[in-house]
Amino acid sequence: MANEYLHAAFRTSAEARVALNRLGQDGVAPEHVEVRSSVPLEHDVHPVGAKLRSKIPWTSLAGAALGGTAFFMMVKLTSEAYPLPTGGQPIVALPPAGVITFEGVAIGAVLMTVATVLIECGLPAFRKKPGPLDHHIALDHVLVSVKQDEGASTAWTAQAIETARG
Amino acid sequence: MTRWGMAIDVDRCTGCGACAVACHAENNIQTVGEVEAAKGRAMHWLRIERYYEGTFPDIKARFMPVLCQQCGHAPCEPVCPVYATYRTPEGLNAMVYARCIGTRYCANNCPYTVRFFNWFTPEFPTPLERQLNPSVSVRPAGVMEKCTFCVQRIQDAQEVAAQEEREVRDGEIRTACSQSCPAQAITFGDLDDASSLVAQLAHSDRASHLLEDLSTEPSVIYLAGGR
Amino acid sequence: MAGPAASVHEEALLKPLVGFRPKLFLGSLLTGGLVGLLFYAWGFQIVNDIGVAGITRPVFWGFYIVNFVFWIGISHAGTLISAILRVTQAEWRRPVTRCAEAITTFALMIGGLFPLIHLGRPWIFWYMVPIPTDRGIWPNFRSPLMWDIMAITTYLIGSVMYLLLPMIPDFAIIRDRMMRESPKSLKTLFFRVAALGWRGTPQQWFSLEAGIKTMAVVIIPVAVSVHTIVSWDFAMAIQPMWHSTIFGPYFVVGAIYSGVAVLMLAMYLLRRGLHIEQYLNDKVFNNLGLMFLAFAMLWSYFTFAEHLTVWYGNEHSERIVFDARIDGRFSGFFWTMIVVNTVIPFLVLPWRKGRSPLGTAIVGFGVLIGMWIERYLIVVGTLSFPRLTYTEGFYSPTWVEVGILIGSVGLFGFLYFTFIQLAPIVSLWEVREGEHIKNRPAPHGASPALNPAEKEA
Repeated sequence: MANEYLHAAFRTSAEARVALNRLGQDGVAPEHVEVRSSVPLEHDVHPVGAKLRSKIPWTSLAGAALGGTAFFMMVKLTSEAYPLPTGGQPIVALPPAGVITFEGVAIGAVLMTVATVLIECGLPAFRKKPGPLDHHIALDHVLVSVKQDEGASTAWTAQAIETARG
Repeated sequence: MTRWGMAIDVDRCTGCGACAVACHAENNIQTVGEVEAAKGRAMHWLRIERYYEGTFPDIKARFMPVLCQQCGHAPCEPVCPVYATYRTPEGLNAMVYARCIGTRYCANNCPYTVRFFNWFTPEFPTPLERQLNPSVSVRPAGVMEKCTFCVQRIQDAQEVAAQEEREVRDGEIRTACSQSCPAQAITFGDLDDASSLVAQLAHSDRASHLLEDLSTEPSVIYLAGGR
Repeated sequence: MAGPAASVHEEALLKPLVGFRPKLFLGSLLTGGLVGLLFYAWGFQIVNDIGVAGITRPVFWGFYIVNFVFWIGISHAGTLISAILRVTQAEWRRPVTRCAEAITTFALMIGGLFPLIHLGRPWIFWYMVPIPTDRGIWPNFRSPLMWDIMAITTYLIGSVMYLLLPMIPDFAIIRDRMMRESPKSLKTLFFRVAALGWRGTPQQWFSLEAGIKTMAVVIIPVAVSVHTIVSWDFAMAIQPMWHSTIFGPYFVVGAIYSGVAVLMLAMYLLRRGLHIEQYLNDKVFNNLGLMFLAFAMLWSYFTFAEHLTVWYGNEHSERIVFDARIDGRFSGFFWTMIVVNTVIPFLVLPWRKGRSPLGTAIVGFGVLIGMWIERYLIVVGTLSFPRLTYTEGFYSPTWVEVGILIGSVGLFGFLYFTFIQLAPIVSLWEVREGEHIKNRPAPHGASPALNPAEKEA
């Protein structure tokens, strides 16, 4: 019973916004409201009181610093471990080390960004079961789902094109 | 500190080719056959370049033996991704056959074109395998090779000298090419030993380096111009 | 404000994915045959030693390195274009990003194969990988080939991520649709797994878009560095007409040029083959055609600058290589390259009619040939004339090298045909988002069509 949801599909994001404001007025906690869409919506279409935040680009910068340092140390330490002079260049040749460090910065930033996205989005997330109105998202409608024992009033579904329990 | 070097007197060279043949015999170099040689794949670690000056009947042939210059700032060394070639403390450009993966970058960067690649596995049809030098490996396909200043002979002489608890004497080490030249045009020795013949020849006013402007600092001195 | 953007047009995009498409499957089979040729020729070479290829002394690098640079160059199409267009918020990029990014990823994979094919002893390629072994020896990071490995690995990982991240919401769209239509089918299971459980909540969109924005910014310098580093395989060597400081930017410009050429050709074929004219429309071809023209001019400028300095400087070894290109052994190649890379684009692309899908595709095909010739001239043209003229050489490729080249084109086609059957070739959610943005009312009552994009992916 505690995991029953009321799903409502809305044709446009404006109608969904009206519904979400209604839910906010009814005092439904944002953690019990889920909005789903096939495109990013306008910045104010989300459960009232929910904060959208991301640690990107700070994690990307941290990854970049980590990657750059790691690659530079790889070049420096491996050149010194088995020092073989080649072509009159120094054992730790700084211009080539610079090239390698640059790539380390890039790959650190990339991997850290991807990891942050996956963690913040909670992916992979196979545990949540598909709902009865999910196909509406594929049709570019907006789906709002509310946990059942909240929001006793169903006035917020007034403009929905279809509702279902699941 | 020992720094091996070689002086080649171009004025004495007759172009007979004995040095090239001796090099093949000493270093187990494969003969690639007519078809492959026509493609340019012949492997003459030491080659005699022949240049004609003038026109008939005042024509003159000039010969220049070219081999690995064992450069001080070798362009072939930094470009090898796996350290298959590097500079030894004694001034040789070492070639490590076991490490070579065959990118052939070193051969591209050599301005003297003195590096050779084993395109196929060498074949020594019977009884030629009996002529192979046991001190030198036979390189497999996919591996780069070049003149080593007969490093096996250098090592032999150094071992003998160490056993006898003395220094290697000038003239004790003879590379295959210097040994076989009938005109004694090739001199091998320690450039850092002021008393050695090669060091004295290096200071001759006939001395020069090949492609000197590239700053490769070759260890091979060419003596020319005194005719 | 806008209603559903899902329209009858999207069916054309989803058709290759839902169910079995015999023509596409046939395409996969035929190109798969060419892939077989690639691996047969390569296997032949490994078993019979690398001497079966035409490379020789002094032309130690031949087709394989030309192909390597060629494919890595093509890879600069997608990611660079879609990243630059994202960062500059060019709305017309939306239908193009995915097919361009796919080109990048597959071209990189194929380009990365060629250094392996080119090695004399490929089974010990791992000597170049920096892992601790009990030999205690490490690779030589001073070598431009090691820079290549680092750069191409970074670019490949970055490109794959940049391709896959925006695909997650698209997989979710297809999943949600197929769960209703055919919940038990194998393809539905594939899309369920591929979507990773994406739900499309505002927080997920926020994070994803932040990630994509950051990736777009990071991938641009990576792409520039990759082809610069590939060019340094040549520029670091002291060979005549290789040792040129202009090679870095020259190769990057050439890479983007060849990348746009492939993109034009691929877009034309996709448009015709999949009937997606509404997405890959005339406006997109026109805009990309203008970019194409810009790069034709840039490439021609760099080529002229490079050749002018060599001619004017008159340095002996360089002039030998130069003369062979202009009126010597390689002149046929050189002047063909000038015609297809400079003359034809300048005659066709400045006119709007020339920037039609067919026009740009034809020019693109010519540029592909021309850019391959450019790399051939650089590699073989220089190596044939070493500084000590006694060792001048002659290169002629064997069936092994030609077969591997043809096979690599087949491999590209195979990967692309397979991709089309597994993912939408136009990014569904990005195009939908573009429609929403276009139809949104402006803040102060201006007409929707004039409203600039307020929110960007």
